[in-house]
Amino acid sequence: MTPTVRTISPEEHLAHLSSLRSASFLQTPAWGEVKTEWRHESLGWFDGDRLVGSGLVLYRQLPRLKRYLAYLPEGPDLDWTSDRLADQLAPLAEHLRAQGAFGVRMGPPVVTRRWSAAQVKEGLADPAVRRLGDLTPTVREPVGARVVSQLTTLGWRPQGSDEGFAAGQPQYVFQVPLAGRSEADVLAGMNQLWRRNIKKADKAGVEVTTSTGRGDDEGDLKAFHDLYVHTAERDHFTPRGLAYFRTMADALGTEDPDRFRLHLARHEGDLVAATIAVRVGAHAWYSYGASSTEKRDVRGSNAVQWAMLREAIAAGADVYDLRGITPTLDPEDSHAGLIQFKVGTGGEAVEYAGEWDLPLNRALYAAFDLYMKRRA
Amino acid sequence: MSLELSVDGERWRTHLRAVAERTPGLVPVLKGNGYGFGLHRLARRAGWLGASTVAVGLYEELPEVAPRFPGDLLVLTPWRPFHEDPADPALAKRVVHTVSRPEDLPALLERRPGARFVLELATSMRRHGMTAAELWALAPDLRRLGGRLEGVALHLPLAHGGHLAEVERLLTDVVAADLPSRTVWVSHLTDAERDRLRAAYADLELRPRTGTDLWLGDRGALRVTSTVLDVHPLRRGDPYGYRGRTAPRDGHLLVVSGGTAHGIGLEAPQGQLGLKDRARSVAKGGLDAAGLSRSPFWVDGKQRWFAEPPHMQASMLLLPQGAGVPEVGDRLDARVRYTATAFDRVVVS
Repeated sequence: MTPTVRTISPEEHLAHLSSLRSASFLQTPAWGEVKTEWRHESLGWFDGDRLVGSGLVLYRQLPRLKRYLAYLPEGPDLDWTSDRLADQLAPLAEHLRAQGAFGVRMGPPVVTRRWSAAQVKEGLADPAVRRLGDLTPTVREPVGARVVSQLTTLGWRPQGSDEGFAAGQPQYVFQVPLAGRSEADVLAGMNQLWRRNIKKADKAGVEVTTSTGRGDDEGDLKAFHDLYVHTAERDHFTPRGLAYFRTMADALGTEDPDRFRLHLARHEGDLVAATIAVRVGAHAWYSYGASSTEKRDVRGSNAVQWAMLREAIAAGADVYDLRGITPTLDPEDSHAGLIQFKVGTGGEAVEYAGEWDLPLNRALYAAFDLYMKRRA
Repeated sequence: MSLELSVDGERWRTHLRAVAERTPGLVPVLKGNGYGFGLHRLARRAGWLGASTVAVGLYEELPEVAPRFPGDLLVLTPWRPFHEDPADPALAKRVVHTVSRPEDLPALLERRPGARFVLELATSMRRHGMTAAELWALAPDLRRLGGRLEGVALHLPLAHGGHLAEVERLLTDVVAADLPSRTVWVSHLTDAERDRLRAAYADLELRPRTGTDLWLGDRGALRVTSTVLDVHPLRRGDPYGYRGRTAPRDGHLLVVSGGTAHGIGLEAPQGQLGLKDRARSVAKGGLDAAGLSRSPFWVDGKQRWFAEPPHMQASMLLLPQGAGVPEVGDRLDARVRYTATAFDRVVVS
């Protein structure tokens, strides 16, 4: 089958996404609206009249030139099990070239390796193990290996995310598998500290409420944002503005009421933790989080995570995704604390195929590549 | 007396044991002239080392190896429909065939139902082996075709220490095939590369195939000698040899054991590609053109020139005036390619 590629409407795009068990929220038409700085386009792969694949393309313009990097974050959603990927990727490249793209960047949503929480824990304790890749994985995914193998032969270039967080989407994430597991199963899989903290929050009287964060609930979004700005100051990162979250809540929430959910943990009326959960089909994410510096002993963060997990289980999700981790297992590394926290959920470290570039105009692509390297 | 390889047995065996100890899953390679030692000797030595499998180059080498080694026998040359593999059913059970083209697998299994085989994947060497796509296409049919898959074989080019990227790419191809075997037979990895792979791929069973680094890895344990058979004084202008050459200056003519029948004076294209190496060959070519070329024999601390092209079992050397003259019966050191030399005697102490 050699499919054709053309622009589709957001409705067609959504229809294709809803036929899938899993797709990234970065591939929803709504995400194109969140990324207001870039032009976006929904693409469809057609086998005759049948829509067999879809993708959200963000066009990032080169300074002063009408040429673009076409970016499909955590996408596109194709038949990645095929061993004839060229048939699906060649018409994509052709279409994007016609749109003025000098290069394509994508992140195939396929897993290549998985490591259990126990293995990651051992790795953290073993001084000889510095990185996830030094550890033999619990599972190697043949489909993912086949994608990597084919992209290499087809001239795509892997975008390294070796150290720290790369500019693009993380290649390594932490996920809690939920398929076929009850709340009790998931709780039992957590480490003792997590279970104790969840219990502690409950005893202390922490209450978690959910909200859409828009319309009448707009005040909740503002409350989340205030706490998030406070967290950013404490943890030294640059916060996004409230407008960004408003756009996100509106775009995602309008597309599907389950897409965007705020979770707010309060203790005696004080907001102690707040998070944004996102879900597409059977894939649920913990997207943004904030916590207070006061009252840390009531364990609002654990309470709000548990609430999101329960909601995901109730919604029939297969995966609860805590998003990016760095591949470091060196306890000295500043990122190791993050992976340690996530490991407590008893899930698994998951490696995706990562982001890949296909240069369409070699000269422009080389200039862009150099520019990105200088910036980094 | 003859062209002789003498082996410091204690030192050689210590080296072999050390290699075996630091190379779990070692598959000793014995092929061709048995690296100068002879196939029969290496076969017994591989058994003594405790190897479960040895690799031979050709089906034709099996009869010499099989009676002297009790384990499995991997044949490195890929099976082709025109190959005559052993008819002896007892031997057939021990043989592991190498299959490097998808169409050869059904043909092999039709001829030898239940045969054991490895699938060879093409490497950057591009000698034998199937592409990743061919391997993937074959994988789902393995059960239906029968036989016993013993793993995937990789034959890497010589690139000391520079293999990891290629191996990781090839292992990705192997994982992508989702085969019912996790064994990878691989050549030419350094110890450091193997250690890296063993840590990151503990779920794969590595079978390192090793020939040269095993048998010839400790050159200090090996000594090649030739015997001085005759010594004649030469005056400038004296004629000598089959070809009636005349002596360029005063000196001695030595007749020593070792000729073309041993592989002496037969040259293979040089492996070196560096500018210096090429300059050296050009210089050497000039001497070749003058009818002189360097012999592998050492007399009085120097590598000496052939007086004329080597004979079948002996060679004539020119020894200039002033050099120490050996006596008939003395032994001379020789530097030869072990894989291309047939020794008259191999003596292991």
